[in-house]
Amino acid sequence: MADKHAPFIVLGAGPGGYACAFRAADLGLDVTLVDPRASLGGVCLNEGCIPSKALLHAAEVIREAAHMAAWGIGFGDPKLDLDALRAKKDGIVRQLTDGLSGLARRRKVRVVRGAAVFSGPKSLEIDGETWSFDRAVIAVGSAPVQLPGWPEDARIWDSTAALELRSVPKRLAIVGGGIIGLEMATIYAALGSAVTVIEFLDQIAPGADAEAVQILRAAMEGQGVTIHSATRVTAVKAGKAALTLACEGAFEGEIKADAAIQAVGRRANGSLVNAKAAGVEVDARGVIAVDAQCRTQVPDIFAIGDVTGNPMLAHRATHQGHVAAEVAAGHAAGLDALIPSVAYTNPELAWAGLTPAQAKEAGIAHKLTSFPWAASGRNLASGGSDGLTRIVYDPDTHRLLGATVVGRNAGELLAELVLAMEMGATLEDLALSVHAHPTLSETVAFSAERALGTLTDL
Amino acid sequence: MADLIAPPSVRALARQKGIDLEKLAAELGRTSIAREDLEGAPAAAGPTGDTSYWQVNHGDYGPVTEEPLSRFAQVAAQNLAAAQALIPAVTHHDRADVSAIEALRKELKPEAQARGIKLTALAFQVKALARALGEFPRFNASLSADGETLVLKHYVHIGIAVDTAHGLMVPVLRNVDKKGLWQIAGEIADLAGRAQERKVRPEEMGGASMTITNLGGIGGTAFSPIVNPPELAILGITRTEISPVWDGAAFQPVPMVPLDLSYDHRVINGADAARFMIYLAGLIADPRRIMV
Repeated sequence: MADKHAPFIVLGAGPGGYACAFRAADLGLDVTLVDPRASLGGVCLNEGCIPSKALLHAAEVIREAAHMAAWGIGFGDPKLDLDALRAKKDGIVRQLTDGLSGLARRRKVRVVRGAAVFSGPKSLEIDGETWSFDRAVIAVGSAPVQLPGWPEDARIWDSTAALELRSVPKRLAIVGGGIIGLEMATIYAALGSAVTVIEFLDQIAPGADAEAVQILRAAMEGQGVTIHSATRVTAVKAGKAALTLACEGAFEGEIKADAAIQAVGRRANGSLVNAKAAGVEVDARGVIAVDAQCRTQVPDIFAIGDVTGNPMLAHRATHQGHVAAEVAAGHAAGLDALIPSVAYTNPELAWAGLTPAQAKEAGIAHKLTSFPWAASGRNLASGGSDGLTRIVYDPDTHRLLGATVVGRNAGELLAELVLAMEMGATLEDLALSVHAHPTLSETVAFSAERALGTLTDL
Repeated sequence: MADLIAPPSVRALARQKGIDLEKLAAELGRTSIAREDLEGAPAAAGPTGDTSYWQVNHGDYGPVTEEPLSRFAQVAAQNLAAAQALIPAVTHHDRADVSAIEALRKELKPEAQARGIKLTALAFQVKALARALGEFPRFNASLSADGETLVLKHYVHIGIAVDTAHGLMVPVLRNVDKKGLWQIAGEIADLAGRAQERKVRPEEMGGASMTITNLGGIGGTAFSPIVNPPELAILGITRTEISPVWDGAAFQPVPMVPLDLSYDHRVINGADAARFMIYLAGLIADPRRIMV
């Protein structure tokens, strides 16, 4: 017999899980939210998006202050109090997670601390206690991939450990040049580490527009980050004085480091909840497959967020969470929207929709237009580095197929382009919408004008 | 990426209503769908009465099969029901002598062949109707939704009802009063042909002065077409018949085309309709008068 019953239970209180729980409560469901963490918010709030943004902000201020020397304003070398910086970051995280607890209380969502595993089609075990449920949502997220064959050593970090800000290593090796690896490189390079990024593929930020990535790479190299793409780490030795990474490929040789971050991706946590007991299949990558309504193949069991596979992004999880709650409450809902990607590097790299390479591979007729930020008055006047706004469009209809922005605040600028794509906007729509001067957003209109032949700023 | 344009709010509404947007776009012959397209025409005003006795299990009386109606057909049905329910329509019947038109068509046949255009009787009727609308401006008008204003049109566009495999479509011939017969005949053939393939553009429909619905090629002696709002009247045509016509001394065999004008009685009264039809029949009987 079950000890307790939950009509609607959400496993995992990350951005997907809490959004799902809150939306379901707002729709009148009796909601239980289970998470092993002491605070709500999952990886995103506790050891992902938010703490990394706090540290990236600190990194940006350090760089900006240094740049001011060229403007005739000297601040001197930054004095780093690592404990104070860590406390500031933790304070921001606490403020947000406490806020979430308040939101849960106000919605009368029952929050249970513990790890839930399925024990049958309609039952769960939460730390030894048996629960029956009517409907469940699996939102247990993902975890950093641990590379096989690496030694056990306190100097080897994953992204979670890296954001704990244990120390600023003199030499830092980052294995994996995806969004997470590049953000870590941005933080630690500003804090004073000599950073080397090793990426297995030909391109860092794999999947992003190659030309935009080139701009990011050049900027990061200018900040002192060494980047080895098309390079594989074949062995890691933990010596007394340093870690030694043996590399093969475009870069051959050894890299000595005082710490190393593994940032080769994240693995879905599907295998952690004994989903099989409920009849839900989990594939070899730990992923639970869902449809546009976020339903698994078992009626009444939904899955959302990283556990449903790529792209593993908080904003996708949030939208899936709303969809699952609405479908469970009997509404017709579904997710068919573009999912934007942003690397919060310096400069930022943001994209959505098709890249030129993807359009080419899919055989979709397309053209490209772009606006270089070297010609943006606002960018130069605010000390911005190199940047590019680039749009992939349909040559017949002029509708947008994809967009990439690299430069300061690229993540914010992308929002206009995502909305444009969702609304089916054309280059004319972008060009004829008046963009305030001088703003970085003008580069979006200028890209469109360039394609239409109406640009007078280039 | 799909070619269909529908903003996220429209996609969400379609999901709620169970409407397949790709299918709807194909049915409407469009590349973009707006919120209005999903909301359909407003239901007919006023009490509709108890229709529960219509709900019959037809299978009780013998074998049946069910065929879901396309979205296009459902919208058309709603619009027709609303027009029939809201407009106090009267149908006036008359007929016109088409001997002269038939003679002219025969005479012009070699030129028609040379031009590659089929000079149909419909082309003459469209031209004659355009001329009649010029003489009777209150027939070339629309009533405002609040019923307080009559909008008189300073252009003459004629809608042509076309029977297609996917339902009734009404492409519109623009500025008929300014066009010659060859051009009218050619444009009718083009629009009707493209209507069959659903390749009529949205801007080629709507805005007509009046619509012509021609069953002459099929048959019938008379019918009562339903006014196509916001137009005020619709002209129905059935099959031309050789009829005995008294010439004062004897009955003569004369080809006569039946004309049926359904009109909105809120704006047009019976005497005006009768005068309009006599004038129109006169133009058809003596097409030279169209030019004069």
